[in-house]
Amino acid sequence: MNVDELLRSLAEMSRDVRVSAEGRVIAWVRRTDFPGVATSLHVRSGLPLDLLFATDDRAEGRGFGVHAVFALDQAHYWLEIATDLPAESPWYESITREVMAAHWYERYAQDMFGIRAEGHPDDRRLVHHENVPALTHPLRKDFAWNTRLAQANEPYPMGRVEGEGIFQIPVGPIHAGIIEPGHFRFNVAGERIITLEGKLFFTHKGVEKLLEGRTHADALPFVERVSGDSAASHALAFCQAVEAIAGCKVPERACMLRVLAVELERFTMHLHDLANICGMGTGFTVMAANGFRIVERLRRLSARLFGNRFFRGLVVPGGVSTPWTSAQMADAVDTVDGAWSEASSLVRLALDSDTLRDRLETTGVLTRDAAWAYGAKGVAARASGIDRDARRNHPHAGYGLLSFSGRTRTEGDVFARVMLRVDEMSDALNLIRAAAGFCRDRTSESDYRADCECRDGDALGWAEGWRGQILDWVRMRDGVIDRAVIRDPSFCNWPLFGELGPGNIVPDFPLCNKSLNLSYSGTDL
Amino acid sequence: MNPALLTTVQVVVVVTFAPLATGVVRRVKAFLQGRHGPPVLLPYWTLLTLMRKEMVLSTSTSWVFRAAPYVVLATALLSAAVLPLVARGGIAAPLSHMVVVAGIWMLGAVFLVLAGLDSAGAFGGMGSSREMTISAFLEPALIVTLASFALASGSSTVDGMLAIGGRGLLSRPWVLPALASLGLIALGENARYPVDNPATHLELTMVHEAMVLEYSGPYLALMELASMVKLAVFALLLVNIVLPAGLLTTATGIVALAAAPLVTAVKLGAAMVLLALVESSMAKLRFYGLPEYFFGSLFLGLTSLALGLFAGWL
Repeated sequence: MNVDELLRSLAEMSRDVRVSAEGRVIAWVRRTDFPGVATSLHVRSGLPLDLLFATDDRAEGRGFGVHAVFALDQAHYWLEIATDLPAESPWYESITREVMAAHWYERYAQDMFGIRAEGHPDDRRLVHHENVPALTHPLRKDFAWNTRLAQANEPYPMGRVEGEGIFQIPVGPIHAGIIEPGHFRFNVAGERIITLEGKLFFTHKGVEKLLEGRTHADALPFVERVSGDSAASHALAFCQAVEAIAGCKVPERACMLRVLAVELERFTMHLHDLANICGMGTGFTVMAANGFRIVERLRRLSARLFGNRFFRGLVVPGGVSTPWTSAQMADAVDTVDGAWSEASSLVRLALDSDTLRDRLETTGVLTRDAAWAYGAKGVAARASGIDRDARRNHPHAGYGLLSFSGRTRTEGDVFARVMLRVDEMSDALNLIRAAAGFCRDRTSESDYRADCECRDGDALGWAEGWRGQILDWVRMRDGVIDRAVIRDPSFCNWPLFGELGPGNIVPDFPLCNKSLNLSYSGTDL
Repeated sequence: MNPALLTTVQVVVVVTFAPLATGVVRRVKAFLQGRHGPPVLLPYWTLLTLMRKEMVLSTSTSWVFRAAPYVVLATALLSAAVLPLVARGGIAAPLSHMVVVAGIWMLGAVFLVLAGLDSAGAFGGMGSSREMTISAFLEPALIVTLASFALASGSSTVDGMLAIGGRGLLSRPWVLPALASLGLIALGENARYPVDNPATHLELTMVHEAMVLEYSGPYLALMELASMVKLAVFALLLVNIVLPAGLLTTATGIVALAAAPLVTAVKLGAAMVLLALVESSMAKLRFYGLPEYFFGSLFLGLTSLALGLFAGWL
């Protein structure tokens, strides 16, 4: 089915279809039609679900809203299916049985808004742990952010396998390394993993709630800190959403500097992961020590160019905060060039080590089917043969002006994810060179920031960060944020462990874990 | 020199230098990775710090947990007393019968395993289960390897086996595979690469460290000291087989006593540099790859034994 046909058939079913400026078709359907439309878009038309979220529209007398965002990757469009639920009985029929990627989103909406997805195969809590009283729905407008909750003891059972010789291993939430909290429950027979389940949201910060009522400038510091390792890409996704609402045209130099910021972040974090997987994960310590040494150089580059070590503060609504001089751009290109030549010799060293390759190959295989069903994002998806990259499928910032094709691998194991990162580092280097060249030749240093007012409306904003696709939905009302949905790719990728863990042995799990390197903070919003 | 004095000197020297050996291997590994690394004397301070620290005992532990540090350290000290490390022909040397030596190490391993289980934590049990798996592969290899040396030297005590050390190996080249096997076993027994990673923080991958995870304070110090002594014992034993020079005997005078610490330090240093090179040049093996590793060791030992028997017939 091509896109035109799809939209025509949608128009027949929906009471309102409109197209927004940032490249999004919005179709409002009846509550009873919502599951059918969403399911057929995913199953029959093969569209991936990239976001599902709820809104509280009771102030306007419309009850609650549920929105499902699908990607029309070939046409470079997004397709948002929305429905209203009555305030007194906010429920709809769950789509998780057909659209597996919806399973965490629906549980999330259930906890945060009290919207029931009837028939959800797993209707346990997700964000709320045992200590949160029933009927606590923090994202409803009538819930004050500073409410002190009573201590409760609601059930939150974890999966358990019974049988002779089957053991449970509880790991975390406090871990031995300096990482964030998350609990993992293994059911094992000897060393072999049978099932594996995660329990997250230990440090839920209420970011979405805190953003409400703020102007976009006030909200940006929160968004940049959603996940400290993806500051530039989160800022980019959010800024593009508010720029789309404001109808703001971002100058070309700013677009290119945004590419530079995101690609510098990608290069740095991919290199960090390379060192972390090959070095710390397997004990091949030479990789870790040298990889982290080179990463440090890129952090210092960030300190010189951004004023901090985390690629923060450059991307702002309307453009960028400073235009960068040619000398600064040359500094970026030279530093990354040097880092790449050292990193490639490290990679050669790694590939020459039989013991290392033995640990990485065939470990933690994620099949293509599983990656598709769970709606995997970023490196996890591309290493399993799913060719999705928002830089190409939904061109943003300056990517539309640069030549870029994207990479995939098919094996889906830890080794494929490592090698894909190496490929993407070399692409990042080329993009950094090209973006710097574009700035030098075709833009002026004085035009780097446009005015971006706070207008009312809603829009999507997206970015392909190093971890994968970030997708935000922002609605402004009366000049301030009414609802901001921040979706880090980690939210989509955490459930993948249930797929790629089983069949492996327990001592290989840290390797699987590092090969995805998901953000706890980006999930515990 | 008095045999009792020989054994005493040996134990004192080995225990004194054991933390230094651990410090050296850490420092050399750091150097090979391009880092500065911690001071080589740090392990001494770590032990002293641990001795002064408060100890936390889980309420689910029994006497086994409290006895294990003493038993494990005692087995390490006993192996330091009976084996020919600094001196040959000490008063404890006749106890270095190959089966007794294997038994001493096994006793320590058993208590370590029980202590891991006793704390009732998930990681301790996991470490214990892995240690038993490894032991099941390691013990036969150890016995077969020592048997090849016994055949070559005509002595069933390790002390006597040293008679064929050094040049003696060249006249009996068929014992060389057993020497390689002993090297593989030493890495396994001491929880070093490629069997275990002594420096990891990843609980799920640990073997030895998982079993001692619940220990703190003075008990942890005893466990750590036991590991250090065991590493030094294996290192010195291997070096002495290849190069049995500078060992004290009943015939040496009191002056040689002064040289013993220096000789021991040089031998330990050389072994630790070699160990650091091995550990820096490879990744840890997949846990399910370990049987192959130990079968390789068993096969090397058997090869020596078979060749030795064959050579005897000729």
